[in-house]
Amino acid sequence: MADPQQATPPSIASEHAVDRTMLARSILRPSPDVQGTSMEGETVLLDLSTGRYYTLNRLGSVIWEHCTGHSTISDIHAVLCDRFEVASERALDDLVALVNQLVQEGLLQQEGR
Amino acid sequence: MNVIEKPMTEYLFSLYGTPMRYTTASPLLAAPVNELLRHFRRDSLEESGSLTLCFRAVQERADIPLTISSSARQLSAGTGAAVGDRPETGLPHEVIQDGRRLIADFHDAGVLVIDSVEGRADGYLIKPETLHPNLIEYLFHLGLIELLRRRGLYTIHATALEKHGRGVLISGNSGRGKTTSFISLLRSGYRYLSDDHPLIRDAGTHVEVLPFPIKINVTEATIAFFPELRNAPDHVLHPGSPKRSFHAEDLYLTSVGDCCQPAMVLFPHIVDAPHSHLELLPKSRALEVLLPQALLVYDPEVARREFQVLARLVQQVDCYRLHFGRDILDLPKLITPLLEQKRG
Repeated sequence: MADPQQATPPSIASEHAVDRTMLARSILRPSPDVQGTSMEGETVLLDLSTGRYYTLNRLGSVIWEHCTGHSTISDIHAVLCDRFEVASERALDDLVALVNQLVQEGLLQQEGR
Repeated sequence: MNVIEKPMTEYLFSLYGTPMRYTTASPLLAAPVNELLRHFRRDSLEESGSLTLCFRAVQERADIPLTISSSARQLSAGTGAAVGDRPETGLPHEVIQDGRRLIADFHDAGVLVIDSVEGRADGYLIKPETLHPNLIEYLFHLGLIELLRRRGLYTIHATALEKHGRGVLISGNSGRGKTTSFISLLRSGYRYLSDDHPLIRDAGTHVEVLPFPIKINVTEATIAFFPELRNAPDHVLHPGSPKRSFHAEDLYLTSVGDCCQPAMVLFPHIVDAPHSHLELLPKSRALEVLLPQALLVYDPEVARREFQVLARLVQQVDCYRLHFGRDILDLPKLITPLLEQKRG
């Protein structure tokens, strides 16, 4: 994820972090303040509450595309393993890291099923 | 309150179906606006629902009838221009949201109060006789574009030209070759759309760029590249500091272009090389570079629509980083064939 207005990634506050024991019950949805657009496999997000914008790479874009309030983190993990040539654990690590960052930035909301 | 009460004069304009009334009692506040909007002046307005801008001269800050509620919040503050990058407008300022009012406070220069829902902006300028006319023009333009955004007309910090119905936008900060590349195309027969802030809007099937013709501001460095500018008399190339200015039609066999579909966006930067070349930018990267040249998030719903229009614009054009070398006068040879391909 690239953020032209914020070079240093924020530290992840523990209360926002994904609970790895709850992956099959954690649903993700975009914050209502976020507007996004998909371009050639990448996604540009604008946070209307802050004016900050972000670009997600192809992997991040697939994750974002599935954060619609219907899929659990486990569901999205399965999609990544299916779509990319990647070890399952690595895919999960990348997924959890990005979700943590997006939640921390206020772009994603996490809720239990 | 000591607002100078003189008879107000009303000036009428129409911008692409959006009528606008500007009232002021001060000739000093009228002249820069009438220059800025000279292509949009009307004798009467037939359309209803006009925007209203009203600028008043005051003698001191205490004369400004401004009240700010306790629930107001600061949106931004800084010393640069709130939009654009002209050095004469790089004033300290803060932008405050107070209910539906947007208050742009330029401290010792004055205050702009914008009520987008009402379609009205009021400016209070302190001792306008001491202000640079470009600053008055800038404050007016700031109020105008904020009101126009709510009517679906957005501005972008770019120069713009048209050739055979295809638009070229050249975007970026000052000092990167934006105006120089623009003049290189203009002198080769491209038609003029805007030097600094063309308008864009969603036309349904596509995003279109609309002319906003204003005087063209040039630095001495830019003037030196073009013989016709070097040799232009003062009544064509008006003296000024730090930039001089001219009207496109006074120097070139050009006319104002038509509303058109943009085909290309260039992001120039100057390189120390004999020849210029283009590098195709991924669309996500292009949007990322374009956003700060256009979008200031004041009203989230308006910003949401503007973001969508900018995204559609990027989708429909080819975006290039222009590595602008020393072959300045040959730029049309690089750009025109690509534009012709887009026609096909």
